[in-house]
Amino acid sequence: MSTLTLQNVSYKYEGSERLVIRDVSLSFEPGNVYTIIGKSGAGKSTLLNLLAGLDVATTGHIVYDGVSLAEINRNHYRARKAGIIFQGFNLLTNATALDNILLSMHISGVKGINKKTRALELLEKVGISPEKANRKILKLSGGEQQRIGMARALAHNPELIVADEPTGNLDEDTANRVLEVFASLAHEEGKCVIIVTHSKEVIAIADEIWSVDEGVFRPVPVNEG
Amino acid sequence: MYILINAMKNLLRNKGRNILIATVTLAIIISTVVTLTIGNASSKIIEDTRLRIGSKVNIAIDLQEHGRSGKMEMPEVGIDDFFSYAQSDYLSKSILSAQLYLYSATTFAVDDDSKAQGIWESNDGTGEARKAGTMILIGNSDPDTLTDFSVDGGRKILPGGRMYSGLDECIISSDLAELNGISVGDTISARSVFEPVKNFDLVVVGIYSDETAAYPGPAYEEAKFFVFNRHNEVITSFETVMSKGFETDEGIQINAEYYLKNPDDISKFEAEVRAKGLPDDYSVSINQKELDGITGPLKSMAGITSTFMAVILILGAIVLVLLAFIAVRERQYEVGVLRAMGMEKAKIAVGILSEAVIISLMCLIIGLGIGSVASQPIADSILSSQVEVAAEKTKANSENLQFLVMSGKTELVNGLNGYTPVSEIQVALDAHTVIQITLIALALAGLSGVIGIAVITRYEPLKILRERN
Ligand SMILES: Nc1ncnc2c1ncn2[C@@H]1O[C@H](COP(=O)(O)OP(=O)(O)OP(=O)(O)O)[C@@H](O)[C@H]1O
Ligand SMILES: [Mg+2]
Repeated sequence: MSTLTLQNVSYKYEGSERLVIRDVSLSFEPGNVYTIIGKSGAGKSTLLNLLAGLDVATTGHIVYDGVSLAEINRNHYRARKAGIIFQGFNLLTNATALDNILLSMHISGVKGINKKTRALELLEKVGISPEKANRKILKLSGGEQQRIGMARALAHNPELIVADEPTGNLDEDTANRVLEVFASLAHEEGKCVIIVTHSKEVIAIADEIWSVDEGVFRPVPVNEG
Repeated sequence: MYILINAMKNLLRNKGRNILIATVTLAIIISTVVTLTIGNASSKIIEDTRLRIGSKVNIAIDLQEHGRSGKMEMPEVGIDDFFSYAQSDYLSKSILSAQLYLYSATTFAVDDDSKAQGIWESNDGTGEARKAGTMILIGNSDPDTLTDFSVDGGRKILPGGRMYSGLDECIISSDLAELNGISVGDTISARSVFEPVKNFDLVVVGIYSDETAAYPGPAYEEAKFFVFNRHNEVITSFETVMSKGFETDEGIQINAEYYLKNPDDISKFEAEVRAKGLPDDYSVSINQKELDGITGPLKSMAGITSTFMAVILILGAIVLVLLAFIAVRERQYEVGVLRAMGMEKAKIAVGILSEAVIISLMCLIIGLGIGSVASQPIADSILSSQVEVAAEKTKANSENLQFLVMSGKTELVNGLNGYTPVSEIQVALDAHTVIQITLIALALAGLSGVIGIAVITRYEPLKILRERN
């Protein structure tokens, strides 16, 4: 398990002069749940994209396993190391839940296990029944889609899990069930879990909390919430 | 394997779009199958006909050229010359035949009731009565070319005899033999009609039964115009006739047919016969008219089908390109998702391409089936309409046609007008056509695949996803 470290990372979108992320230096260790909170437009999703290797820092370095993400094959990094739960789900809407997960496993080169069984197990874990697993995404609710997005992110057993508002569309019970999964991933399996959220429930399972405002990150004492 | 299965699944996931693409592709493939099948079948026949007809060389007096030369006399091409032209490496075979009338004081001609050999006289203007021929001597360069002696040609050498081979050997009809009590081994003594007279002593080596029509028409038969009776033919070798040293103005008629190994060698062959002394007033040519007459409707059909195919291919390709562009928008999101999950561009490209190939191959199979069934009736209807067009043209031409009768002493067989065009064609899918169509199908797949790939893989995943969200 490796540490993900940000060294003086700044970011601005192409064609814009404004820094969305400003000179951030921090470390994400395995075995912990991190939550990032902040106002809308503060730069949370932008940071997650950088951590997930979907984008590269404008200045500074994001180092994983001792190497800057700017220098590695980020396709490989996304496929093997990181699991991403998008704010907008980004599922293949014409395909079934199961196919979405199997496809992700294929991309990640998952081998040596019964993929279908594992996919159904994962879905079960986040509260999606086998019957719903065989439905097209379009015919599932927003909350169900969100959980399928989560199952997909876990399909290749990644070391790093980044989640953007993963409980945004969920009722309290379902949210708690999902949060248990996140907590056990970090605390029992030793994964590094980074969650962007507004939700108090999510903050409650956090080992470390960061607040972001105008791209500037500050630690928040955990007990304060 | 997963790529293929996923491609199949993906095709089914986007049914609407893919049915549209498949329909266009199928239309293209069916019309290509039909046009290529017809086109290939007709070009094969055209080529075969070219080899068959186009290889036959005509050496004939070119009256225009002759008129330009200002000479009164017809130029002389001797029997030896025709023989020497035949000795050419460019030829696959040559058929030479010489024909002249024979007069015999001892052998009577069939149907010559008067049996008055030599009494049937003509006046050549010298005031001297001349004896007309009663038998027809045919000298042939190659017994194999005597079509009457082929399996159902009507003539058959009777047991005890054989085909002529050496000098001064001949064969005669059983009618002629019976009339004169001739049997195999006997000698016929006769002479040519025109001065200077040549004497023939021909040993009969074979007698043939003759089922062929004796006379060219009923009028001849009624009149018992025996000099036209084919049963009076005495058939010998060309060399036998040549050995008598005839000049061409001595009442001898020569047919010379030369067949090129390769029709393209016509000009080389012409150069060779010119070098051997063929006068400029003779033309050396293949029978283009006959060739055109026979293959004309086929060529028009091939033209129609290839134009049609070009139009279909161009229109179809345009529609496919448009569809590919429309599909790109739909696909962008899908590609964004796959890229976000870490799929390499190349793998995505393979996926898109395999989808296109699967569509094309399915259309190919269906298209080959439908197309091969449809080709024959379509070919029949196009060809019959083209034959009609050609027939009307010929009719229009022949009304203005003037028949020119040449009374040269040396007459060469020339092509006649009114050739029967090829009016039936057997079209069938052959391996060659299948390969061509498969290549076209793959090209179509490549076309739509490559456009998708080129447009989609340019973007980074985030950018694609952002556009959607
Ligand atoms: N493609 C883009 N080009 C330019 N600016 C952008 C782009 N995407 C986002 N931004 C800007 O960057 C800032 C940070 O956006 P980001 O999506 O990270 O916010 P966020 O913290 O995730 O907000 P939310 O809680 O609403 O999801 C915002 O001000 C946003 O307007
Ligand atoms: Mg966000």
